[in-house]
Amino acid sequence: MLTLLKLIQSMIKTLHSAGTPGQVAAGMALGSVLGLTPLLSPHNLVIFSLLVLLNVSFGGGMLGWMLFVPVGFLLDPVFDRIGSSLLTAPSLRPLWTDWTNTPLLPYTDFNNTIVLGSFVSWLVLAIPIFFAARYGVAKYRATIGERVRQSKVYKAITASQVYNVYKMFRP
Amino acid sequence: MKVKIFRWKAIGPLLLFLTLLGVLVWIFAEPVARQTTEEASSELLGTEVNVGKLDLLPRQASVDLRALQIADPFVLTRNLIEADEIRLKLNPAALAEKKIVIEHLSLHGMRFGTARKKPARPPSGKGFAPQVYRAVNQWAKQFDVPLLSLTPIDTIRQLALDPTQLTTIREAQSLLARTDSVRKGLEQGFQQLNIGPTLDSARALAQRLAATDPKQLGLDGTRQAIQSVQQTLKEVEDAKKRIEALERSARTGVQFLGQGVQGLDQARLKDFAFAKSLLKLPTFSAPEIGGALFGKVSIDRFKQAAYWAELAQQYMPPGLLPRPTPGPNRLRAAGQTIEFPKAKDFPRFLLEQGQLDFSIGGTSPIQGAYTATVQGLTSTPALYGRPAVITASRRAAGSALASIDVGAVINHLTARTHDSASARLQGIKLPSFDLPGLPLRVDPGNGSSSLMFSMRNAGAELRGRWAIGSNKVSWIADSAGRQLNDIERVVLRVVSGLNDLQVVAELSGSIASPRFSVSSNLDKAIAQRIQAVIGEEVAKAEKMVRAKVDSLVADKVEPVKRQVAAVQTEANQRIQAEKQRLGEVQKQLNVELQRLTGGLVPGLELPKIKL
Repeated sequence: MLTLLKLIQSMIKTLHSAGTPGQVAAGMALGSVLGLTPLLSPHNLVIFSLLVLLNVSFGGGMLGWMLFVPVGFLLDPVFDRIGSSLLTAPSLRPLWTDWTNTPLLPYTDFNNTIVLGSFVSWLVLAIPIFFAARYGVAKYRATIGERVRQSKVYKAITASQVYNVYKMFRP
Repeated sequence: MKVKIFRWKAIGPLLLFLTLLGVLVWIFAEPVARQTTEEASSELLGTEVNVGKLDLLPRQASVDLRALQIADPFVLTRNLIEADEIRLKLNPAALAEKKIVIEHLSLHGMRFGTARKKPARPPSGKGFAPQVYRAVNQWAKQFDVPLLSLTPIDTIRQLALDPTQLTTIREAQSLLARTDSVRKGLEQGFQQLNIGPTLDSARALAQRLAATDPKQLGLDGTRQAIQSVQQTLKEVEDAKKRIEALERSARTGVQFLGQGVQGLDQARLKDFAFAKSLLKLPTFSAPEIGGALFGKVSIDRFKQAAYWAELAQQYMPPGLLPRPTPGPNRLRAAGQTIEFPKAKDFPRFLLEQGQLDFSIGGTSPIQGAYTATVQGLTSTPALYGRPAVITASRRAAGSALASIDVGAVINHLTARTHDSASARLQGIKLPSFDLPGLPLRVDPGNGSSSLMFSMRNAGAELRGRWAIGSNKVSWIADSAGRQLNDIERVVLRVVSGLNDLQVVAELSGSIASPRFSVSSNLDKAIAQRIQAVIGEEVAKAEKMVRAKVDSLVADKVEPVKRQVAAVQTEANQRIQAEKQRLGEVQKQLNVELQRLTGGLVPGLELPKIKL
């Protein structure tokens, strides 16, 4: 229940933030990797750092993460197949052999079928996610955005202390 | 408008976050590593592994483990090994590649076979080790260890046999069905041969040509006649080939039935054994007594050796091909983690040199300081290039009466793997064990024990030998047990008079089809005594069993055997008859061909002459 509330809160805040639809969409595209790939993978620390450092919507990133967590769980069998086909492809064997025998690179866990499959899928899906999210946010703001902004619920959320902290990372 | 890419003000909070993360890792690294070590090693070995404390020493690239306990997967209340302190010196360069290369392992305060405060969890789950554990237990069950039966002879009564329980009858019915099917198949084959038209046309041609003078046919007529003969001979040859194919198929079918008939004789032997088991006749064959008394305890030793050898096969595979292993346990699917070994690089796991010190205290002849070494234990033997070697022996000279020598070599450098282990214990207190079927426990006292186990080519070749010997055996009777019968008392009298015990169990064959035998000095002594007491009565009972089984199966088996013989004869006769008919007509045609060609070799093409 709490997660659901947080999701709604994050969605509302993000959709009405000062960021442009492009910034929100870029945040969502980056954040989606946190949901699509196993969370405790080293590349997610890099993605998180990018979300903080780049001038994209941090809220969008969190929204993307939350939206894509269930998608990640659902698509695990597909990721497994993709990862397996990439790792067992004879033409790619020299690449993986070098990758897994080079200092630090093995810690990426890219020799795991789920990690590699989900990461590669994210690379492919990131651009479509960006454009879909940008279109969605722009459409939302142009249609029902203003009505939501005037609602009591939105005002209650934006008045909370959490929102003040969140504003620090607002684009 | 200038596009702002970086959010510089976020660097501070990010650094703070990363520092916090680092502190958390620092605080929780040791407990997490300890738990992970316990989980991973339990999973790998298929038995509970407990680590009391784990200290990470990053400056020395070392790990200290304390109070290590590895449970015995076959006796859950006992530890296989218990050690007070273990220090692992790791190779930092290999760690950077996420590989564990232990340059030196030292283990102090090692003890074997200590009792556990809390019984270990039995191996369970879908991991490889629990699967091997279950497979090895199943493997051990296949050995047909006879039960020692010491039923008093006066309880043998009339034998009541249900014919449906007899294998011979079931096999005979099945063979009858097979005979019928072979007979139908042959009949169908003869019909499909369809050599009648070929024979008829060949005979007609031969007769027609016999009545013709080649001189009157003219050149063209002769040429046409020769072509007709050659064409017909070709058809005859084809028909012969069809008959030969049928003959081959008939031979296979007949052979199959012959095997069935042999199977009936074997089934009858099984039925004799089954019927005999219903009578519960006392065992007095020496090999059976040996197997019954010491079979289980011997198989238990081989079972444990087979378990560790199977784990070595899995974890130390030969070659450098990519190897998939199950991924880590997590909320998300585990997937598979694929290892890509690289020539001249570190293997994923390597124990270069391990030194294990242990001492045996007290006043026993084996007391003293011992040392064991482990070299080259690795997940990729092809990269290490040398077999793994494990040895254990006394460090300083001690009593000549007692010693412990253990050695093992795991050679997985190529696909022709060879694992061998040997252990020789002399002058040590051997564990006591129960004698199955007798209310008696054997305490071998101080004696010698040796175990040799060798497995080649992933279990294709198996050899094992377990022997114990002692001349100070004591026999502990279970006085609280039931009243002993006459035969049991005879056996007890025999064994109680023996101070000497020599048992030898041998294993050979392959993992898939192992052969096992066990013998001891007790076998003959017991067998001779029992035979002297009840041999005649047992022989009579066995004769009765044979007669009973024969009377039940004879009227079912004999007709089947007759039918099989009839099918065999009929198939043979018909094929020979067909071959003979074709042979005759072929001969006639060849004669005519020779006449037409004026003695030229049949089949030789005559030159075409333009007229």
